[in-house]
Amino acid sequence: MSASQSAVRSRAEAVAVSRTFDWMILFTLFTVVLGGYHIHYMLTGGDWDFWTDWKDRRLWVTVAPIVSITFPAAVQVMLWYRYRLPIGATLCVVALLLGEWINRYLNFWGWTYFPVNMVFPSNLIPGAIILDVVLLLGGSMTLTAVVGGLAWGLVFYPGNWPIIAPLHVPVEYNGMMFTLADLQGYHYVRTGTPEYIRMVEKGTLRTFGKDVAPVSAFFSGFVSIIIYFLWHFFGKWFNKTDFISGEDV
Amino acid sequence: MAATTESVKADAKEAPLLNKTNLIAGWMLYLVFYSFIRWYEGVYGWSAGLDSFAPEFETYWMNMLYIELVVEVVLASGIWGWLWKTRDRKVMSITPREELRRHFTHWTWLVMYGWAIYWGASYFTEQDGTWHQTIVRDTDFTPSHIIEFYLSYPIYIITGVSSFLYAKTRLPTYSEGLHLMYLVSVIGPFMILPNVGLNEWGHTFWFMEELFVAPLHYGFVFFGWAALAIMGVVNTECAAIGKLLKKDLA
Repeated sequence: MSASQSAVRSRAEAVAVSRTFDWMILFTLFTVVLGGYHIHYMLTGGDWDFWTDWKDRRLWVTVAPIVSITFPAAVQVMLWYRYRLPIGATLCVVALLLGEWINRYLNFWGWTYFPVNMVFPSNLIPGAIILDVVLLLGGSMTLTAVVGGLAWGLVFYPGNWPIIAPLHVPVEYNGMMFTLADLQGYHYVRTGTPEYIRMVEKGTLRTFGKDVAPVSAFFSGFVSIIIYFLWHFFGKWFNKTDFISGEDV
Repeated sequence: MAATTESVKADAKEAPLLNKTNLIAGWMLYLVFYSFIRWYEGVYGWSAGLDSFAPEFETYWMNMLYIELVVEVVLASGIWGWLWKTRDRKVMSITPREELRRHFTHWTWLVMYGWAIYWGASYFTEQDGTWHQTIVRDTDFTPSHIIEFYLSYPIYIITGVSSFLYAKTRLPTYSEGLHLMYLVSVIGPFMILPNVGLNEWGHTFWFMEELFVAPLHYGFVFFGWAALAIMGVVNTECAAIGKLLKKDLA
């Protein structure tokens, strides 16, 4: 090919071609990130995300933010540092939530008949917006990790509180007191997941009650900072454009 | 005047840069096929998929497994063989316009790869969670696994490797050497399939119930991370396409 020759015949055609590629690239990036992020999230924090009776004040609040800050940190490396698009975290979370909502409707409800108000996914959007805004305003990976990462953990429970609160009110049932969410799990039997597998509200200091969620959120934010750093560098590696020779494979 | 007419005729005859029919037809093919599969699961999952010792299980599920395995081997051999057999041996001498056209075809393959990854890694994998947390399995080949592991995963593997082979055999950008992130983005998700061996071994000999966050499943997680290597492919493509356009698009 000639080094000086253009593949297009006019500026208008170049613009049209470029825009078409934009859409094809966006679709592919969106769906591949959706698939990778979803399989990661469902297998590292999924059980707490699937069922309302797993959405407790301790382990859900601790685990979900820590395992979900991974892909946003990596995709921000590409979209911000290469293309100056401050939407890396939001794109990941919107993709993940779309995949989850489709699944909860068509499969959790449509195939195994659980009510959607028992199987809705956790809301990660507030944290994603904060992560992107901190990166946009600060332009710094360190600032985004420390401020954004901490905020990611801290806002998770408040961001989900309006949704989960009605299911955390106490009820008395057959002489026992538990939450409405527990009652859902009691009535909708999951034979393949017996009660002894459910990991909720385990610990010692939780006896004192009111401090459980804030302490969990703060610890989660702390670990999210570390995970952000780690996944930023994973993201850098995945952005490489290197070629290797056939002998290396 | 005559020259202008000839030029217009030549343009009219030229194949379009992007074959939209192929793009839409390919996308619809996955959608319609997987919609049928989802309907099949809905009907025969509960009625014939709960007891693997029942004759109807053999009829509706094991036979489906045998058929899909054979079709996948035939499809993979056919598509990959055809892509390699018809490779361009003078790939460095194509015109810039032809190269741009091939980038569009390559991106049609990548769009299908993304679409197939969605169905496999997102749709059918989380679906597996609700099925196995609800029913009690009595075999490794459950209705959910027959669709997820042995249908949707091979389909994205076939699509991804096809995309890689197309790029390697028809685009100057990839003709010399092997693009590391392209390899990772195709081979990583492929490794999820062999990891099924670990999953089934663990569920058979150790843990029959379903806990999605169990360490037994971490192999799937690790290989799922490889999907992020698509970022390296996008970066290479953006640079290559930018070079071909040579226009200020601002």
